[in-house]
Amino acid sequence: MQFPGLAKPSIGIVFDCAMGRIDDALALAMLHGFDGKNEARIAAIGLCTSDLKAAQFCDVVGLFYASATTGVARIFMHLTPIGLDAGKPSARSAGGSPMLDGLLAKTGADGKPVYSTTVRSVNDTADVSTLIRNALTAQDDQNAVAVLTGPATDFAKLLDMYGLKDLISQKVKLLCMAAGAFPDGPPEPNIKADIAAARRVLAGWSVPIVAVGYEIGTELRFPGESIEKDFAWSTAHPVVDAYRAYQPMPYDAPSWAMAAMLYAVRPKENYFKLSEPGTIIVSDDGRTSFAASDNGRHRYLILDPAQKERIIRTYTEIASAKPVERKMRKPPQEKNDEKKEEKKEDTKEEKKQEPAN
Amino acid sequence: MMITRKTLPRRTFLRGMGTAVALPFLEAMVPAMAAIRGAKPPVRMAFVYVPNGIIMNGWNPDYEGKLGELPRILKPLEPFKDDVLLLGNLTHNAGRALLDGAGDHGRCSASYLTGVHPRKTLVDIKAGVSFDQIVAKQVGTHTRFPSLELGMEDARQAGDCDSGYSCAYTNNLAWESETQPLPPVLDPRALFERLFGKGQALTPEARTRENLYRRSILDFVSDDTRKLEADLGPTDRRKLDEYLSSIREIERQIERAEHDNAQIDPHMEKPYGIPADFAEHFKLMTDMMTVAFQSDLTRVITFLVTHEGTSRPYREIDIPDGHHPLTHHRNQPDLIEKVTQINSYHVKQFAAWIAKMKSIKEGDSTLLDNCMIVYGAGLSDGNRHLHEDLPTLIAGRGGDYIKSGRRIVYRRETPMCNLFLAMMDRMGVHAEHFGDSTGRLDGLDLA
Repeated sequence: MQFPGLAKPSIGIVFDCAMGRIDDALALAMLHGFDGKNEARIAAIGLCTSDLKAAQFCDVVGLFYASATTGVARIFMHLTPIGLDAGKPSARSAGGSPMLDGLLAKTGADGKPVYSTTVRSVNDTADVSTLIRNALTAQDDQNAVAVLTGPATDFAKLLDMYGLKDLISQKVKLLCMAAGAFPDGPPEPNIKADIAAARRVLAGWSVPIVAVGYEIGTELRFPGESIEKDFAWSTAHPVVDAYRAYQPMPYDAPSWAMAAMLYAVRPKENYFKLSEPGTIIVSDDGRTSFAASDNGRHRYLILDPAQKERIIRTYTEIASAKPVERKMRKPPQEKNDEKKEEKKEDTKEEKKQEPAN
Repeated sequence: MMITRKTLPRRTFLRGMGTAVALPFLEAMVPAMAAIRGAKPPVRMAFVYVPNGIIMNGWNPDYEGKLGELPRILKPLEPFKDDVLLLGNLTHNAGRALLDGAGDHGRCSASYLTGVHPRKTLVDIKAGVSFDQIVAKQVGTHTRFPSLELGMEDARQAGDCDSGYSCAYTNNLAWESETQPLPPVLDPRALFERLFGKGQALTPEARTRENLYRRSILDFVSDDTRKLEADLGPTDRRKLDEYLSSIREIERQIERAEHDNAQIDPHMEKPYGIPADFAEHFKLMTDMMTVAFQSDLTRVITFLVTHEGTSRPYREIDIPDGHHPLTHHRNQPDLIEKVTQINSYHVKQFAAWIAKMKSIKEGDSTLLDNCMIVYGAGLSDGNRHLHEDLPTLIAGRGGDYIKSGRRIVYRRETPMCNLFLAMMDRMGVHAEHFGDSTGRLDGLDLA
């Protein structure tokens, strides 16, 4: 929640993904890491899948990062719901995910689940479009960044909502999407999953759009050894268990979603080079091409080999950040309430002390 | 088949001495052929708003579907649970801070029926046309009063009632335009005169005569009553008698309240005619709401029981602490218990009204059956000022539309305005969009 008079809030991130790949899970860990450092705020998490387990996973991760907060601050802590596309199951969600299945089925020595979730049914999740719309209304103008690392289905649906085109233009300063291949390449899975939606988003989101091509994620791999080393402080970390469940260890994971998250939060840190402006064109088979133009709203990231090591170091540092204890950020409302009550009590005391006439 | 009976017009009044008393729905008002075809009484809607949120553990059942044992706060509605539909997870995003900081109480009441995020100000207030008024503008052409706005506490329209929000936001539910709220009538006598006096109220002369003789308003229309009774069948005669008796009972309650007020606290500045006792005041107002619906004086009522941020104590149930401070309980069990008792007390009064509405026959159904009475609040957790999973129930079936006796839980963040769109449909008012609606709330009519 943002309050006037307090320090300017960090950028609000709207993160939408399918949560079927390990890089989505690592990007979510990075988002919580940035949030803990007050470099970004989690505005909304949407899932372009109907797999309830994906929502349960995001909830488990959220509860994990909230675990460091205790006392009164914990009482007042409010976790926003997870958005889930409860419509038609996608091919990916229908097949299930070993990452999600493995994590949620994990039991401890006592036979009980290691991770608990507050998401028991689809009613414990929110409609993605409504959730993102509501989240955007709570952001300062041009202080939100949208990060899309799955099919563009949800973001395309947003354009159909009443008043949303204007709201997006007002609130969102950048859309960073892991999609396409640049300058060219085979059809990229996120684009191919919903070509019409990708075209709609590229045309209909009237904000600067930066694409993270397939080549970026395959070139920058999250080191599997980091899971054993950098996360060792935790005995039960949901992202670590997800990593182990995703595929047999050891392996290094491609980082499409992590690259998108890193650029979204730290666009000026020169981790990547940017293409010139232009327009991303999606062909009927899902291939992408780029037409440069001075007034184009689209760009794509270009890997700078000199930054590769730095980027991977940042990945591991942010994704493995410990949960941060949140202090009670007391809303002025309650301060006022308390003042009023104190004043009333004082007045009562004064009255009591007045000599009766 | 021969049909000879003369039909009584729906807008028949008993008149006399500057007074006009509307009549309830009588069988004699149904054209004979229409009665055979099963003509239906009109659908009415009301909103009963309680402030400062609810202890949700005592409100939400731990199950969905058919209502079984009700949670503690809703217990008074146990005899009527087949007439109640509980709705879960409805949200008013417009009530949230949305960059405006403190003031959740001011916002949640201002946005409750408008669906609009109100401007934070003490002077140039701005919200939106409330949905009850959109309905009233169309449906109200059939009735004497397009709508009634009622309340029980504090009608101040200026000043700071919540962290920079004008009292106009906390003390009104209905908004005629985006800058014009409709202040509620608090005084039962004023309401009585508005309903049963000629026009907006009795003329000064008529009022003087009435006060002089302390006669019942029914005395003024006794000639008309006798004439009408001669034309009615036994069922209608009994119904008319019950109806006029209920008006007389309201008169007696008002007289008692005025008498009691004079004795209880002569130093207290209280408008003439408002009972000191909460339950009595509530009963008076709802009794008149019943009559207003019964006699088709209006089809739209909003009832602001008490206003957001109220620190009213409830000494009637041995709670001398202010309501609002108690709701910031910080999970302290003793404070939660007191808030729960206040919440239950409110529902108890509401249940008594529902009992009355259900007891009144209207053709083959009851008055309650033909109403949609929403009871709810603009906050769920008053401790944390949450604007989601707002406590919401609908009593009545909206004229054989709503399948009651159930709890439906929607997805989180489902806009409350979706319910309003569905209710507008039922009231015969079509709109594509209202507030932050994303569609019509589904499932109300599905068993």
